[in-house]
Amino acid sequence: MSLSDSEWGVLRREIIPPFEKANNCKIETMQIEAGDLPQMLEAMSSAKRMELDLFAQDNMNLAQLVDRGLVEDLSRYKKDIPKEVQKNLIGVGIFENILYFMPYRPNVQIVYYNKDAFEKYNLKPPKNWDELLAAAKIFKEKEKVGRVLLKACGSGPTVTQLYEFIVSAGGDPFSFNDPGCIKTFEFLQKLWPYVSRDSLKAKWNTSNDYIARESVYLMQNWPFGINIINKKYKKKNIATYSGFAGPAREAHVIGGEVLGIPRGSKNIKLALVFIKYLQSKEVQEKFVRELSWPSIRTDIIVPLHFESVKNALKHGIFRKHVSYWADFDRYMNEAFVRIVIKGEPVKETLNFYAKQMDQVKKR
Amino acid sequence: MQNKWIKLKKDSWKFFFLLPLLLYLAIFTLVPVIRSILMSFEGGNNYAWLFSHFRFRESLVNTILITIFALLFEFLFALAIALFISGGGRRRIIQALILIPLGIPTIVVASNMRYLFDTNGFINTILTRLGVVGIPIDWLGGGALTLFSVVISDMWKVTPLMMLILLAGIERIPKELFEAAAIDGVGFWQRLRYIILPLLKPFITMALIIRGIDTFRIFELPLALAGESFPVLSSFAFFEYRNYNNPHTAAAASTVLFVLILIAIFIYLKLVGLPNEETT
Amino acid sequence: MKRLLRFLFIAIVLFWTFLPIYLMLKVSFSPAEEIMSQNPPLLIHSVTLDHWKDVFQSGNLWQPLTKSLTVAFSVMILALLIAAPAAYALSRISYRLAIGIILFIFFARMLPDVQMAMPVSVYFIRLGLLDANLGLILAHLIRVLPIVTWILLSVFKTIPIDIEEQAEIDGAGRFQIIKRIALPLAMPGIIVSAIFAFLFSWDEFIYAMYLCLGNKTLPLMVYYYVNRAGWFGAATFSTIIAIPVLIVTLLLQRYLKADYLAGAVKG
Repeated sequence: MSLSDSEWGVLRREIIPPFEKANNCKIETMQIEAGDLPQMLEAMSSAKRMELDLFAQDNMNLAQLVDRGLVEDLSRYKKDIPKEVQKNLIGVGIFENILYFMPYRPNVQIVYYNKDAFEKYNLKPPKNWDELLAAAKIFKEKEKVGRVLLKACGSGPTVTQLYEFIVSAGGDPFSFNDPGCIKTFEFLQKLWPYVSRDSLKAKWNTSNDYIARESVYLMQNWPFGINIINKKYKKKNIATYSGFAGPAREAHVIGGEVLGIPRGSKNIKLALVFIKYLQSKEVQEKFVRELSWPSIRTDIIVPLHFESVKNALKHGIFRKHVSYWADFDRYMNEAFVRIVIKGEPVKETLNFYAKQMDQVKKR
Repeated sequence: MQNKWIKLKKDSWKFFFLLPLLLYLAIFTLVPVIRSILMSFEGGNNYAWLFSHFRFRESLVNTILITIFALLFEFLFALAIALFISGGGRRRIIQALILIPLGIPTIVVASNMRYLFDTNGFINTILTRLGVVGIPIDWLGGGALTLFSVVISDMWKVTPLMMLILLAGIERIPKELFEAAAIDGVGFWQRLRYIILPLLKPFITMALIIRGIDTFRIFELPLALAGESFPVLSSFAFFEYRNYNNPHTAAAASTVLFVLILIAIFIYLKLVGLPNEETT
Repeated sequence: MKRLLRFLFIAIVLFWTFLPIYLMLKVSFSPAEEIMSQNPPLLIHSVTLDHWKDVFQSGNLWQPLTKSLTVAFSVMILALLIAAPAAYALSRISYRLAIGIILFIFFARMLPDVQMAMPVSVYFIRLGLLDANLGLILAHLIRVLPIVTWILLSVFKTIPIDIEEQAEIDGAGRFQIIKRIALPLAMPGIIVSAIFAFLFSWDEFIYAMYLCLGNKTLPLMVYYYVNRAGWFGAATFSTIIAIPVLIVTLLLQRYLKADYLAGAVKG
C-alpha cells in the first residue's frame, strides 16, 4: 500500500501489533506506489514467488490487476463483509459479477481553506464555480499572487480533479468533447490566470504543504492532511467544508484503497482474518480518530471536521473501471497542459484527444 | 613457431583475467543498449510520435539549454577558483572544503536545493526581507526560472570537479613563464589571456566535453526539483516507462540521448584524441 | 586591498558551499511550525529532536539502511574481483591490443543510464530480480566496473614492468608475481577504488529507481519524502546518507583526481 510517513507510523504502532499478538503471527509491511504495484505483482508471479499476501490498492488502478489475472477471486467471502459496511462501497471491488477487492478505506476530497484570509477580505467559502472564480480574482487582486490551488502537476491528482469537474458539469470524461468537458475546460482556462503558481507542483501531499505554509488559501484534497495541519503543524486557522458544485451538480470522486489478495499467495486464510480485522469497528474508529480517514462503516461517530467529509460523500461518484485508464490519464493531462496552462483553443484540442481516445478504445 | 606457441601459452592468463569483465560488459551494457535501440523501432513510428509531442520537444530543449548554461557558468566559476587556489596561500584546507559537494549524493543536493528554491524557501525569504521582491518568486514551476534553479543546483555539485581538471592543467604550466612575465611587468588579465588560457586549452576542451556528456544525462535534479513540469531527456524516458507503461517510446527517447552523447564522444576523440598510453 | 578581496572571495565560495548543507541540518533539527510558515527564518532559533525520533520510530529506516549497506558492500567486493584482474591484464598487454578494450570501457562510462536501466529492469522482472538485492548489485556494477577498471588500470601502469620481468627470470610464477609484487604495490590504489565503488553504490539513484519498487534504498527514501513534501523526513534521511560520505571524501582528498571522477560524479 502507499501511505505517507505519519500514516505508516499509526499503522505500525497501533493497528498491526495487537493483531500480531492475537494471531501469533508477524506482519511485514511494504510501501509501494499505486502505479508500481501491477509491475511488482507481475514480477513476483512470473518468478513463481509470491511474497505478498495482501495489498491495499488505489481504487482507480484496479482494472489492470484484474486484466492481468493477478488477484484472487474473493466472491466466496462476500458474506463475511460486516453488515455495517456501506453497501455502495462494495461495488467498486466487483468486476463482471466477481468480487476481487474488499473495501476498507474510502476517501473523498474536501476543500481546505484559510479562515483568516477569507475573513480578511470578507469572503465566504465558494459554493459554486462562479464564487470560486470570484474568490480567486479577489485574492489575486489584493495580494498580487494567486491563492487558489489547482492540482496541475500532472498524473493522478490532475486527472481526479478533472474527472470531478467534468462530472459536476454534467459531462462524461471519457468522451473528451461532450458539452460538459468543453464547459469544464473553458472554465479552467478562465480560472487559470488567478490561481496560485504553486498549482504546477501540486499533488496530494505537496498541496497540504502549501495550505499549511499559507502559500495558498483554498485547495481541494483528501481529508488526511487536516489532522497533520491542525495537530502536528499547530495551524488552527485552516478549516474544511465539503466543496463546490458545478453547473450541473455537486460531485466528488470517491477514491481511497481497497484490499486484494495476490494470486499465488500462501496465506489466504490469515489474510482474510486480517481483512476482517481492518474492517472491524475498533480499527475503523482508530483510522477516523488518528488518521482522519473516512470510514466504511455506518456505525462510527465522527469528529467535527468530518461533517465536511460526510457531506462530500453524499455527492460521491466512482470512477469508471477501464483497462485503458493509463491512456486516459495521459490524454487528460496533456489536454489540461495544452488548454489550461498553454492557452490553446478548447474545442480543437479536445476534438484531437477525443479522436486519440477513440483509437485506444478500439484496440 | 614453437617459441610463439610457448609465449601464447604463457600469456593465456591475461585472457582469463579479462574474460569476466568483458563478459559482464557484453551482457549488461552492450546487450541492453542494442536491445533498447531495437525496441525503439518496434510498436509504431516512435520517433515521429516523439518529435510531434510537445513534452518531448520541451525535454530536448531543456536538456540542451541546461548543458549550455551549466557548462558556461561552471567553467567561469571553476576557473576563478582554480586560479585562486593555484595562487598559493592556505590552499590545502580551502581546497579540501571546496571539494565537499563532490561527496554529497545528487538526490540529497536536490532535496537541499528545494529548501532554497521552494516558493516559501530561503531564497524567497531573503529576497522578501531585503525588499527586492514583493511577491515570492515561483522558481520550480517550469520555464526559465526552473532552468536557472537546475543549473545552479548542478553547479553547486560539480563545479569542484571542473575546478580539479583545470587546476591540474594550471599546475602543468612551467613556473618560469610566470616569472618571466612578472619581470616584464605583465598584468593579471594579460597573463590570463596570453599564457594561461592558451596553455590550458586541452584541459578546457576535456573538461567541457566530459562535463557536457554528464549534463546530457542529468536526471535526479530536474526530477526531484520540478518533476514532469520540467522534463529532460532522461526523466522523459523514465516517465514514459514508469508512468505511462510505454517501453518503446522510452527506448526511443533514450536513444535520442544516446545519439547526442555519441556526437559528443566523437568530438572529444577528434579534439583530444584517443586515450593514450600516458593518460590511461 | 588585495588581501581583502582574497578574503571576500574565500568567504563567498565557502558560503556558497556550506549554505545547502547547513540548511539540511537546520531543517532536520527545526520545529515543524517554524519551517511551515511563509518566511521560515534562516538562523537557528530553537532545536528539536522530534524529526530524528520520528525517523527511528517510523520503521522506515532499517530496511533501506540494511539494503543500501548490503548492496554497496557486495558491489565493492564484486567490482574488485572482476575489475582488478582485468585491469592488471590490460596493463600488461601491448597498447595496440588493449586500445579496443580501453575504448569500450571509455564508452561504457559515458552511456545514458536510462537506456540500459530500462531493458535491464524488463529482464529482471522476468527473472524475479526486481526488488531483490542481487538485481540492484548487478545493475550497479554496470556503472561501477568501468570506473574501477579505469582507476586500477592507471594504478597498475605505475608498477614498473621490469621488476616483474626480473622476478620471472628468477623463476617466479605468475601468481607469485601478483601476490609478492603487484598486489602489495597496488594496495593503496585498490583500497581507493574499493571506496569509490562503495560510495558510488551508496549514492546511486537511477538504477535503484528502475529496480526497486517496494524494498527501497536510502536515496530512494529521500525521493519518497521530497515527492510528498516531507521536508523533515527528507532532511533527516539526507543527513544519514551524506554524513558518512562527507567524512570519507574529506579523508580521501588526496585521491580525488579529475581523471578518476569523470563519469563517476554527475549532476
